[in-house]
Amino acid sequence: DQSEMSFEELLRVQSDTRTRVCKQVTSGKKTAKPTKATVKQQQDKKGPLEMSSKKRVPFLRRVVAVTKKVHRDPRFDDLSGEYNPEIFMKTYSFLDSIKKQEKEMIQKQLKKCRDTEQKEKLQQLLNRMTQQEQAQKKQQERRERELSLKRQQRELAKQGKKPFFLKKSEKRKLELAEKYTELKRSGKLESFLSKKRKRNAIKDKRRLPSQKDW
Amino acid sequence: SPSLGRRRREAAAAEEEEIDETPQEKKLRLAKQYLEELRQYGESRPAAGEGVLLGYCHACPAHIPLSLQVQLPDPASIRVLRGHQLPVTCLVISPDDRFIFSASKDGTIIKCKWEVESGKRLCVVPGGKKGTEEQNMGHASHILCMAISSDGKYLATGDRNKLIMIWDAATCKRLHIFTGHHDAVSGLSFRKGTHQLYSASHDRSVKVWDVAENAYVETLFGHQDVITGLDSLSRECCVTAGGRDGTVRLWKIPEESQLVFYGHQGSIDCIQLINEEHMVSGADDGSVALWGLTKKKPLALARQAHGMQDSQGLQEPYWISAVAPLRNSDLVATGSHSASVKLWKCSEGFRKLEPLWDIPLVGFVNSLKFSSAGDFLVAGVGQEHRLGRWWRIKKAKNSVCIIPLRQRAAAPSLEAPNGS
Repeated sequence: DQSEMSFEELLRVQSDTRTRVCKQVTSGKKTAKPTKATVKQQQDKKGPLEMSSKKRVPFLRRVVAVTKKVHRDPRFDDLSGEYNPEIFMKTYSFLDSIKKQEKEMIQKQLKKCRDTEQKEKLQQLLNRMTQQEQAQKKQQERRERELSLKRQQRELAKQGKKPFFLKKSEKRKLELAEKYTELKRSGKLESFLSKKRKRNAIKDKRRLPSQKDW
Repeated sequence: SPSLGRRRREAAAAEEEEIDETPQEKKLRLAKQYLEELRQYGESRPAAGEGVLLGYCHACPAHIPLSLQVQLPDPASIRVLRGHQLPVTCLVISPDDRFIFSASKDGTIIKCKWEVESGKRLCVVPGGKKGTEEQNMGHASHILCMAISSDGKYLATGDRNKLIMIWDAATCKRLHIFTGHHDAVSGLSFRKGTHQLYSASHDRSVKVWDVAENAYVETLFGHQDVITGLDSLSRECCVTAGGRDGTVRLWKIPEESQLVFYGHQGSIDCIQLINEEHMVSGADDGSVALWGLTKKKPLALARQAHGMQDSQGLQEPYWISAVAPLRNSDLVATGSHSASVKLWKCSEGFRKLEPLWDIPLVGFVNSLKFSSAGDFLVAGVGQEHRLGRWWRIKKAKNSVCIIPLRQRAAAPSLEAPNGS
């Protein structure tokens, strides 16, 4: 019995029967830092799921998980990164050939088509495509011009002279000049200028005082 | 009936000691008290009922490897007690092993003494037909589950009319009816050593009642399908089988949380606790699983435990309709309608389920219970499954069968208690 056992044996029996928490509480000092975090993690993976037992369960049971479709706009999504026109043009340059093919298809369809309504539609589509192409080209030219200007300035800076930066108005003047030379070359200068005069005349007419004001 | 909310319970507890403590702190305090008593009484443990042990004693009692001592019983020695008109759905054995209470689909409850050779019927509470609840003292629909308190005082029965009736076990007089469930009551169990009753129902909720005060305590939610079985031991926890949602849940009532286990395919139909740390369950795909509290999947799984049956041209496994472990040992009995009750041994620390013997028994074994000493196995047999009428075995008799398990002469050597 307890009276017969030596003090050592008593202590051993007591330490065997006590839990770690009990020892902590009675001894008063903190034992070595328990590795609770890692043990808990392991249990979470293999052990049963613990949940609250007070939440009411809906009547219909979810048998198959149905995920909601997440809509994302690549223009505003951070995942798409920053827009860089050069990189964009390079990566999507394969679309130019597809656009060409489509244009040819529509031209063929236009030829075959008898229905006036559909013909109109196709014509509109064709115009849209051509205009998009032209707009693309213009943008391309503008970019190239910018690049050439920058190259010029870099060279000047290298040579040692002070680089000069053009104003916006001066840039526009340069553009006009280029346009003038282009039109002259192709021979459409006259028609362009006459159209421009007409448009300006109409605009000026609008500014004149009307008869009502009298 | 007055309802005892959790707040009132905690207030009552707080009146005793002024500090409001969490369940973990309470456990710690009880543990310290227990050790104090150990030191005072020396090596011998204080008897159950003294001091703290009533609330705390879930340190595992000796795990007795009884399976080695059990022998195949002689079929002629199986006693058949008849008396029910319709299939027996559930039965309980009184804690002193003197009486068996059985209930059937016609609503009758029969209490009988089983030491006597004839199995004398002591009390019969007849069931009424549908619609005679007011006139009749008994149930008017199928009784699905029964439970008896560990002091043998109260008997609780639950039926398909959403009622739980409390009876005085000695006189078979009805004491109280608990209403509150919204659908059939399918599982009942008393907490060992107390008069707290846990009930599970087809409305997917588990309710806690206090029988001594005729009061409802609380409701627990979580199951997503009909609950088919419930069991509890001396901890304030109960375990439920969830039918088609494929989960077995352990409800920690003071912490208001549940642990979810899954791993059965098919509807889990019955569940019983082997000891405080392990449980065994059976499903309608024929599989029997052993569970431990630390793993979410079963520790051992025996598929098609009772073999395959040929129903309407298809090969289907026999549904497991009842499981019964011998508490705190490694013997498990499973019942189905395969004309036999199978005994299994849980080996290697409950990691393996090995078949031992087959006891021939014709009919649907709707309920199985071991006597507390382990020398008898009582089976409630019927012509139909307890939950429905999918098949009908005409050869079978609606009865309670007492199967003696012959034990070898050597007395079991108790291992040192492995305290939890």
